[in-house]
Amino acid sequence: MATETTAEGCEACPAHHAGNLIKLGVNMSNWDYVVALAGNPNTGKSTVFNALTGLRQHTGNWPGKTVVRAEGGFSFGGGRYKLVDLPGTYSLLSTSLDEEVARDFILFGQPDVTVIVVDATRLERNLNLVLQVLEIRDRAVVCLNLMDEAKRHGLQIDDRRLARDLGVPVVPAAARQGEGIPLLIETLAQVATGQVVCKPHRLKNETPAMRKAIDRLVAKIESVYPDLPNIRWVALRLLEGDKRIIEAVRTGELGDLSRGTPGDPGTLSEVTR
Amino acid sequence: MADPVTALVVAFALVAIVAFLFWPHRGYYWRAQRVRRLGGRALLEDALKHLYNFEYRSQPASVESLGGALEVSQNEAADLLVRAEERGLVKVEGAVIRLTPIGRSYALRIIRVHRLYEHYLSEETGVTEEDWHRLAEEREHDLDDADVDQLAFEMGNPAYDPHGDPIPTVDGEIAPQRGVPLSEAEVGTPVTVVHVEDEPEAVYAQIVAEGLQPGVRLDLIEITPERVRFWANGTECTLAPMIASNVAVVSSTGPVEDEEDEFQDTLAVLRPGESGEVVRISRRCRGLARRRLMDLGILPGTEILAEMISPSGDPTAYRVRGATVALRKEQALQIQINRTLEAH
Amino acid sequence: MSAENRGEEILSEAAAVRWEAGPNFHDSLMETIYTDASQVADRAVSRTDEQPRFDLDRTIDRLVTSRWLGFPMMLAILTVVFWLTIEGANLPSGMLATLLIDNIHTTLKAGSAELGIPWWLDGFLLDGVYLAMAWVIAVMLPPMAIFFPIFTLLEDFGYLPRVAFNLDNLFRKSGAHGKQALTMSMGFGCNAAAIVSTRVIDSPRERLIAIVTNNFALCNGRWPTQILVASIFIGGLAPQHMAGLVSAGAVVGIAVLGILLTFVVSWALSNTILKGEASAFSLELPPYRPPRVLQTIYTSIIDRTLIVLWRAVIFAVPAGAVIWLSSNIIVGDASLAEHFINFTHPFGLLLGLNGVILLAYVVAIPANEIVVPTILMLTVLSAKMAGMGEGAGVMFELDSETTTAAIFQAGGWTLLTAVNLMLFSLIHNPCSTTIYTIWKETRSAKWTTISALLPVGMGFVVCFLVAQVWRLLM
Repeated sequence: MATETTAEGCEACPAHHAGNLIKLGVNMSNWDYVVALAGNPNTGKSTVFNALTGLRQHTGNWPGKTVVRAEGGFSFGGGRYKLVDLPGTYSLLSTSLDEEVARDFILFGQPDVTVIVVDATRLERNLNLVLQVLEIRDRAVVCLNLMDEAKRHGLQIDDRRLARDLGVPVVPAAARQGEGIPLLIETLAQVATGQVVCKPHRLKNETPAMRKAIDRLVAKIESVYPDLPNIRWVALRLLEGDKRIIEAVRTGELGDLSRGTPGDPGTLSEVTR
Repeated sequence: MADPVTALVVAFALVAIVAFLFWPHRGYYWRAQRVRRLGGRALLEDALKHLYNFEYRSQPASVESLGGALEVSQNEAADLLVRAEERGLVKVEGAVIRLTPIGRSYALRIIRVHRLYEHYLSEETGVTEEDWHRLAEEREHDLDDADVDQLAFEMGNPAYDPHGDPIPTVDGEIAPQRGVPLSEAEVGTPVTVVHVEDEPEAVYAQIVAEGLQPGVRLDLIEITPERVRFWANGTECTLAPMIASNVAVVSSTGPVEDEEDEFQDTLAVLRPGESGEVVRISRRCRGLARRRLMDLGILPGTEILAEMISPSGDPTAYRVRGATVALRKEQALQIQINRTLEAH
Repeated sequence: MSAENRGEEILSEAAAVRWEAGPNFHDSLMETIYTDASQVADRAVSRTDEQPRFDLDRTIDRLVTSRWLGFPMMLAILTVVFWLTIEGANLPSGMLATLLIDNIHTTLKAGSAELGIPWWLDGFLLDGVYLAMAWVIAVMLPPMAIFFPIFTLLEDFGYLPRVAFNLDNLFRKSGAHGKQALTMSMGFGCNAAAIVSTRVIDSPRERLIAIVTNNFALCNGRWPTQILVASIFIGGLAPQHMAGLVSAGAVVGIAVLGILLTFVVSWALSNTILKGEASAFSLELPPYRPPRVLQTIYTSIIDRTLIVLWRAVIFAVPAGAVIWLSSNIIVGDASLAEHFINFTHPFGLLLGLNGVILLAYVVAIPANEIVVPTILMLTVLSAKMAGMGEGAGVMFELDSETTTAAIFQAGGWTLLTAVNLMLFSLIHNPCSTTIYTIWKETRSAKWTTISALLPVGMGFVVCFLVAQVWRLLM
C-alpha cells in the first residue's frame, strides 16, 4: 500500500482522509482542503472564524462560548477550503467533553492545516495547547491574535522568533479589526498546498523516566504500524490511559490513519476534485 | 370551596406521610429496600468479600469475625455460611472456613467492582474520600458485568484503587499485597504509604484525618506499644499501633523531590496584591480537577498573584501566567506555595 | 495478524510501561510542556514599558466586584435591562399586534369568506393556527429583539464572567457550579437557549442541576403574563402615580424569587438525588473589550432572536390548532374546553387559581407567550359573556386594561388569583421547546421528566399554600 505514497502526496491529497471526515460528520463534497481552527477559550477564535468565512457566528466575551463545532468555508487561489471551528480548550490532555471533540477532530479528522489561534497577551498559557497540537499535527499555522490588546498592555512580541522556535508559520493578527486576516489566508494556503513546509517543535524537556517509557512504547507501536504519522503522541496518550485512544488501538481504527493512501478502497469514496 | 384549615391540615398530613416514606436515606421506603437487599444477595456477597480479605492477608476467618464485619448476629452469620456452602461457594471444615475456587472468583468480581467504583468516585466525581467506601459498598451489588467492563474501560483500566488496593482484572488476577504495616516498619528509613485499609470506618477516618493516603511519604520517629510517631505532610503525627497497622508502607528510594514533607503555605493565604510561587499541587487534588489546574498553567515554579476577592467572600481571582483565573477556596488550599516577599 | 491482535499487543506493552512511568506521568508531562512553553514565550515576548500608566481593566474589576458596590450594581443592571426591554417592547408589540391581528387577520377572514371556504377550515387555519403564530410573534419578537442584543453587549464587554465571580459563593453553598450564574442569566432571555449553554459546565452532576433549575429564570415568554397581571391587579392597588412603579416592582420581585428558588432547588438537588461535592471550579475572567454595537445587534438578532422565535412559532402552531379545536368540538352540551374547565375548576380553586387558567397552561405548554390571550378567550367562553371577544376558539387581547379587568372580574378573579397566576407562571413546567432541548442535551428520559414535573409540582404546592393561608388570614 505504500507504493503510491510520495513524500508529500499522502498528506496533501484531499481524498486520503475523506472517509474519516465523513465519519466525523463533515460534508466534503465541495472542498479541496480542510482547515481546523483550534485555540484556548476566549482568544477570539470565533472572530477569526467569522473573518475567514464571512459568516456571522455569534462571538461572546466569556470563556467556553463555542460549545459546538461550527463549519464554514472560503476560496482562495483556486482552492476551496472548509473551515471547522473547534470548541475552545486549554489542553487536549484532560479528557473533558469539549476537549474530546477537539482532540478527535485533530487526530482522526486529519485536517490539512490546523490553525491555532492564540491570545498574544497570554502567550505562555496558550503555547501549552500549541505545543500539544504540534505533537499531533505537522501542518499548522499559529494565528497570534489580539495583537492590538497586547500593544495596549505594553507587550511586544517577536513573531519571527516565535515562528522559528515553533517551526510553523506565525501570523500576527487583530481579528476584530480584520488585521492580519489576508496574510493568514495566504499562509494557511501555502501550508495546505505544501509550498511552506513545517518542522514543528517537539517536546524537549522530558524527564529520563518519561523518555524511556515513551521510547519503549513508540518502538512497539512502530513495529506494528510503521506508517502512523503521530506515534509519539499516541504513545503519550496510551501512557495516560486515554480510553478513546485505547479503543482506537483495539479496534484498529488507529491503523486506518496510517493506511489512508489514495487507492485504498476503505477510505477513498466518490469524492472527486 | 374547601375550608382552608381542613385543606391545610390534610396537606400537611400528606406531606408528613410522603416524608416518612421517602425521606432520603432514612425514609421507610429506602430502609425497606435496604433490608430487602441485605436479606438476599448483598449480604452473601459481603460475606464472600470478608472471607476473601482474610484469606488475602493470611488470617483465619471465623463465624465471629464474619458476624462482626457484617453487623449481624452469630446465628445469622452461621445461617449465611450454610447458604453459601449449599451454593458451593465456601467449605466449612470444623472452625475453618475456606472459599472454594468458585467462591473466590465471585468474591474477586465483587472486589473488582468495589475498587473500580472507588477509583471512579475519586477521579471523576467530587465525592470526598470519607464517602468513597460507603458509596462503593452500596453500588458493588447492583452493577452487572457489562456496566463494570464499561466503567473499567472509561477509567482506562486502572491498576490500583485510590486506597492503593490492587484492582483484580476481569480474569480474577490480582497483584499480591505490597508493603508492611506502618506499625512494623523500620524507624529511621523514609517510607511511602502504598495502601490504606478503608475499614472499619472509624479507624479509616482517623487515618484520613492525618492526611495519609497512598503516595504520602513518612519519616518514622518512634514506635512503642502505645503509639507510632512520625512526620507526614509537614507535621508530626501520632497514631495508635492498632490504627497504624491499617496503613501499609514500603521504604521509599526515589528522589525526595515530589514529597509533601515540609510545612507549606497554600494559595489561600494570599491577600489581594500578594504573590507566591507554586511548590506543588497536593495529592488530595485528583482527576479532572488536578488536570484542569495544570491546564491553566498552575505548576511547580509558577508565579501567582492574588488579585481580588468576590464580594460574596469566595472565590478569589488570581493572575496566572498573564491570565486572571478565579479559584474557590478549597482548590486554593490544595495549591502549596512559597510566599514571594516583594509585592508586585 | 488481525487488527485486534496487533492492537492488544500494543495495549499490553502500554500497560507494562505504565508501571514504569510511575503514577505522576501526567504531572511530569504537563511540566515538560510548560517548561518548553515558557522558554519559547520568554524568547518571543518583551515588555515595552514596565507598567501601563492606567490599568482600566483592573479599575473596572475593582468596581464591579467591590464588596459594597458589586451586588447593588448587578441588581441595578438587571433592573435597567428589564426596564428597557419592557418599556421598549410595548410600542412595537402593539404595532405588530395591530398589523398581524387587526389588519391581516381581518383581511384574511374577509378573503376566505369571499372564497366560500367552509367555516371549520377557515376557523381552524385562521383563528387557530394563524392567530397563535401571530400572537407569538407580536408578543415575543420585540422584547427578544431588545433583550438579546443588550445581553450580548454585556457579554461582549466581559461583564458576565464577573457576575459568575460575584455569585459563585452562593452557588457553591448550593452545591452547584459558579458558571450556573451565566446559564441562569441566559435563561432570562430564553430557557431553551440557556439549556444549551449549560455545556460550559464540566461536571455532569452540576450541569444537571443547572438544567433542572434553569426554568426558575423567568424567560421572555412569561414576562407579558407577569406584566399584564401585575399592572391590572397589583398596580391597581397603588395610587395612580405609583402604579407603574409598583407593578414593575412586583415583576422584579417575581424574578428575584425565581433566583432564590434556583438556589434553594439547587441546594435540595445536590443534597438528595444529585448528591456530591461541588467539583473543581475555575473561571477565567477575560479582559474587558469595547463591544462593537452594530455588529452585535446584527448577529444577536440573526443568531438568537430569529432562531428562538422560529422554534416558538413551530411549537405554537399546533397549540393554536388545539385551542381552536377544543373550543369548537362540542360533546354533549358543551365544548371540550368547557368540559375540561368545569372538571378542573374545583382543583383550580384549591390552588387559588381556576379551571380556565389550568386549561390555558395545558394548551400553552408549547409556548408560554399564548397564556394571556388563551385565558381571555377561555374566560369569555366559559363565562358566556355576551358581546365580548371574537368567538369560540379565537384568541384575542384587549387594548384597554379596563376592559381586560372587566373580563377578569366576570370570570371571578380576585387579587389572590392574580398573585397565584404570577407565581404559577414562574413555577410551572418549562415550555415544550425547552423540554425538547433538555431531552436533546441529556438524552435521558428520567432527567427530562424530572425537569418537567418538578417545577409544576412545586408550583402546585406553592399556590396551594399561598391560597389556603391567604383565605385563612383574609
